[in-house]
Amino acid sequence: MISKEKKVKNKEFHPNILCFCCNWCSYAGADLAGVSRFQYPPTIRIVRVMCSGRVDPAFILEAFKDGIDGVIVTGCHIGDCHYLKGNEFARDRFERFREVLKIFNLDKRFRLEWVSASEGKRFAEVITEFTNKIKKLGPLQAI
Amino acid sequence: MNLITEIENLKKVKQEENDSNLYLRKIYEPDLINLLKKCYQCARCSGVCQISKVQKFTPSRIIQMILEGFEDEIINSQVLWDCLMCNSCLEHCPKDINFADIVRIARYKMRLKDIQNPDRSIAHKGIYPLMSEMMSQDNMEIERPLDWIPKGCKTSDKGNILYYVGCLPFFNYEFEDSLSIAESTLKIICQLEKDPVVILKDEICCGHDLYWGQAKFESFIELAKKNVKRFEETGATTIVTACAECYRTFKIDYPKLFEEFNKKFEVKHIIEYIFDKWKQGKVLFKNPNKSDEVIPFTYHDPCRLSRFLPKDNKIIEEVREIFKHLKIIGYNFKEMEHNKENSYCCGVNSWMNCNERSKALRYKRLLEAKAVGTKMITSCPKCRMHLNCLKKDYEDFSSIEILDFSEFLVDLIKIIEPNKNVEGK
Repeated sequence: MISKEKKVKNKEFHPNILCFCCNWCSYAGADLAGVSRFQYPPTIRIVRVMCSGRVDPAFILEAFKDGIDGVIVTGCHIGDCHYLKGNEFARDRFERFREVLKIFNLDKRFRLEWVSASEGKRFAEVITEFTNKIKKLGPLQAI
Repeated sequence: MNLITEIENLKKVKQEENDSNLYLRKIYEPDLINLLKKCYQCARCSGVCQISKVQKFTPSRIIQMILEGFEDEIINSQVLWDCLMCNSCLEHCPKDINFADIVRIARYKMRLKDIQNPDRSIAHKGIYPLMSEMMSQDNMEIERPLDWIPKGCKTSDKGNILYYVGCLPFFNYEFEDSLSIAESTLKIICQLEKDPVVILKDEICCGHDLYWGQAKFESFIELAKKNVKRFEETGATTIVTACAECYRTFKIDYPKLFEEFNKKFEVKHIIEYIFDKWKQGKVLFKNPNKSDEVIPFTYHDPCRLSRFLPKDNKIIEEVREIFKHLKIIGYNFKEMEHNKENSYCCGVNSWMNCNERSKALRYKRLLEAKAVGTKMITSCPKCRMHLNCLKKDYEDFSSIEILDFSEFLVDLIKIIEPNKNVEGK
């Protein structure tokens, strides 16, 4: 039975994407996308964090280790952070962390994006674009 | 048709289970009491224990509690995650009870109990052990950057001599110039070897941290299997490494899993390698700066190269012989107060517990170094990183320069029959 289910899944690949949203901008942006009924694929699982600076690189590695296909971290635009400098820390940290992801060949599956509370449409666009990219790359876990 | 393949798949799964159990039995002894029966409570271990100087931790009491049947209490209290695994207790134990080994096995039991997730208490949010664990998975493709290789060094996929880099490219994410260790080591090896040196582009972790620190034995076994397979493919007979932890793991822990590992591969630390070449008369030491100034320096013994090796190892003496010889060229070697087997720990082991207590230990070590010299040499990349980290916090230590063994020697070494392919940097 299990093998049959897997075969059905194989026909069309639905990626699992983890999305970290900051409480003040991107989460509100995602909310706006929902309220304004902008369509985006149901591939993402949103985790709300208070700031994009809260997201540790270890979270991302752990997600990949457990077999998630892509990770996207979203936050306020530079200069708009509710905590003044949180997103700048996030930007610097992930810039350096990308070198590590490159060694694992995972840097294409990770994305850092700034989405403000008024950009509901942009949020939907970013998710659609990223989902298409991951679909092209294929699943991370060899089934 | 489907049924047959399903049955075959099930068979495969069962075989794999047996396989990993077989390996697990070689490194895991479920009966703790059996290991401790020789203890007669002289409490020397508690006296020399390094972590007991900064927090409450008494190995002898823990041993007595396990012997009296309170093993569950010890495991539930999670106290053994605090052990530094510096092996000072084994050095002084009259009965040769290997307490670090007991802690390792108890940690595996603690992990199975699943009361509290220890992964949250690992330093740097456990990012480095996570990387090792990811490398043990089959679906990850590793592609290391090779742009650090110095100009003129010939490298290849197959050959006689293999340089095992270790985790250095990963440390570059948070620590400065950790790759300079790899660069200078490779420069030395390249000058001495005529054939190209093997550098693996898809090299994976040796699994030391998972074995000692986080007790993830299954991942360690996977890593060991992959490593041995990869080494065999290259056709190498000698493995040279600059890392104390990799050396100990290849020399002692891998043969536990694969009996023939030591026969197939000769593992050498860069100290041994240079010492052998020096005794063969292929190497000279020369000072490029011609000044009469005498520079005092000292050496920090990493635990993996002193206490964690069998008693008949010669590395401790070999490195001192080289250093004493350097007096001719203006480097004066001085011992710290605690040296050789009694040397102080750098305070962190396998990324467990980096906190104010371990920093206190490091502070003590740097005070000793400051009293005798301006340069501090060590041969473990992690010791170098940990000590450098504390050095930044205190201005008192800004005069000490902490270097790796190969970084220190790369400018002083002169080859008698120079390999013409290698130019200066």
